[in-house]
Amino acid sequence: MLLLQLLVNGLQTGALYALTAAGFSLIFGTTRVFHLAHGSAFVIAAYVFYSLAARAGAHWSLALLGAAAAAVLFGVLLDRVVYAPIRRHEGSFFTLFIASLGSAIVVQNVVGIAFGRSVVTVSTPLSRSAEVLPGVFVAPLAGVAIGCALVCFWLLQHFLGTTQRGVALRALAENAQLVRAYGLHPARLSTLAFALGSLLVVPAAALTVATSGANPAMGNHVMLISLAATIVGGVGSLRGAACAGLLLGMAENLALWRLEPQWSEAVTFVVLLGFILVRPTGFFGRAHAH
Amino acid sequence: MWQVIGRLAATFAFVASAQAARAQDVRIGALFAMSGTQATFGELMSSGAQLAVDHANADRVLKGKLSMLVEDTQGTPQNGVIAINKLVNVESVPFVLSSYSGVAKAIAPIAARAKVVAVNGGGVGPDLAELGPYFWNVIPLANFEVRAFVPYVVKQRNLKRIALLYVDDPLGNGIRKEFEAALPGAGGELVAALSVPVATQQFAGVAARIREARPDLVYIASYGAQQVAAIKQLRDNGVTQTLASYGAFSNPEILALPEAKGALFTTQLVDTDGGDAVTKRFVADYKAKHGKAANVYTINYYNIVRVFVLLAAELQKQGKPVTGENLLAQRSATRSFDLVGAKVSFEANGTVNAPIQINEIGAGGVAKAVAVVATK
Repeated sequence: MLLLQLLVNGLQTGALYALTAAGFSLIFGTTRVFHLAHGSAFVIAAYVFYSLAARAGAHWSLALLGAAAAAVLFGVLLDRVVYAPIRRHEGSFFTLFIASLGSAIVVQNVVGIAFGRSVVTVSTPLSRSAEVLPGVFVAPLAGVAIGCALVCFWLLQHFLGTTQRGVALRALAENAQLVRAYGLHPARLSTLAFALGSLLVVPAAALTVATSGANPAMGNHVMLISLAATIVGGVGSLRGAACAGLLLGMAENLALWRLEPQWSEAVTFVVLLGFILVRPTGFFGRAHAH
Repeated sequence: MWQVIGRLAATFAFVASAQAARAQDVRIGALFAMSGTQATFGELMSSGAQLAVDHANADRVLKGKLSMLVEDTQGTPQNGVIAINKLVNVESVPFVLSSYSGVAKAIAPIAARAKVVAVNGGGVGPDLAELGPYFWNVIPLANFEVRAFVPYVVKQRNLKRIALLYVDDPLGNGIRKEFEAALPGAGGELVAALSVPVATQQFAGVAARIREARPDLVYIASYGAQQVAAIKQLRDNGVTQTLASYGAFSNPEILALPEAKGALFTTQLVDTDGGDAVTKRFVADYKAKHGKAANVYTINYYNIVRVFVLLAAELQKQGKPVTGENLLAQRSATRSFDLVGAKVSFEANGTVNAPIQINEIGAGGVAKAVAVVATK
């Protein structure tokens, strides 16, 4: 029964990892900005959701809308105000990386000053597990997490596959010059990628506040998982990032079947190393000729 | 002309006297977690220490002004080492307040080499008693707390099967050793011992492992935000057994958690209702300044600064410089200290021995003492 319980936990964790990883992969794949502050969008969404739902007493749907608006605004502002000027003047990978890291540190500290450094949670009876089988406890939020992930991925695939903007985003990932030649604006598409990528973390952030709680430093873990999932899934592949997020969540939880809890996070990086050694292009990545 | 000369002379005299007073100024250092996931404790600890500094300056106990240089360690040994090097080598302080077992173990050799006294009031790792003559503790270490706790829960509460969830650092490993040593003799059993890294915030899987072990009581040997997350998630994931810990459960955020109701925790016996002037003044001034009652960590760090002030004042009276070596010698020569909550004397190894109080978190987040156990 322990194995079944860990499998269920893994599915829930993996669904949340898949959403955050897909957001990072979308941004990195299309803009090539190593957006370390992606974890900060998660933190901002989590704290706005907490402020509205727990402090202001707003309905969860309003709180979710507020969190979505805040995360999207953060992503768009970061792209327009921080990354765009760097790209215009110099555009080196390292400068963008440092700017992103600096932004993440600023957000972590501002949130810490505003809300304190401890854990904040939104109390809901939906986070309380019930025994569905002998020794197997499942909370309603586990189903919500998996459902959210499925709906978000279907919507994203639909957007990228069938709309003009979505196709343009995919084209941007392939060749920015060609996009410009067709009269499209890479800068605007980049902003759209940041908006969508940041929006994808919102369900995961809200569910995390309700299940395990949020703290200002949690963006680091989110970022680490997103990065690992992007590599394991194949850089630029949304489907790959989602599958890898799910895989990492499952691996992290299933490791508890035989290992001490302190090794479960290490399992994530064993999986990552394994992929780098055996299949460096990840699940669905393509090898690039240089 | 004479007026100008007179003013110049007065200014010169004022500057000279100010410089003389500054020469007598005393600075101490403090290593607190002022940011990161442990910052709640940093705020509690620094508020107590700062109040003691304010009291010392208001009373003019020392010749010159006492000031405290606070360095942020985030509760990590790496940052602790950077901070102690700065305090010892750049600021040349003779006395440092230390917190967290991991930080304490990292900084103790550096403090000892520089002959700087480091005093801990928050870390309870049992091996903090073995860090040399320049490292003191004003908090009973976890071995005392666990030794007092185990017979109480096994014999009086009939909770014999204990599951331990512990952070993988000197504190957590020390507590595990104590449980392994104390439980068999008391008639109890350690049915699970699960270690987690310091930064872990996910406990759903750990809850499944704990449920499978079918314990009577779950002891959480961790601290800060991690404990808050662990309590909520254990309860959310079907762990209904009694929860317990050491003094870290006195954290106001834990007391306020509905999921923590019924949890047990140990602290040193602190009598804040005591009639002595030191305690009364502390309780009144802390409440006035911060609008809330102090917790055990706040009291401990007030007491550390008070120990320093008492020792330094005595050294100044004897015309001796306030150095780590002299502070150590003076502590050995001082039988006891009137501190907040108790009269305390140090053992030869720099630890204090105090009765342990077992508390239970009741409705509304109010912790009540349910037993007091003398320790040896």
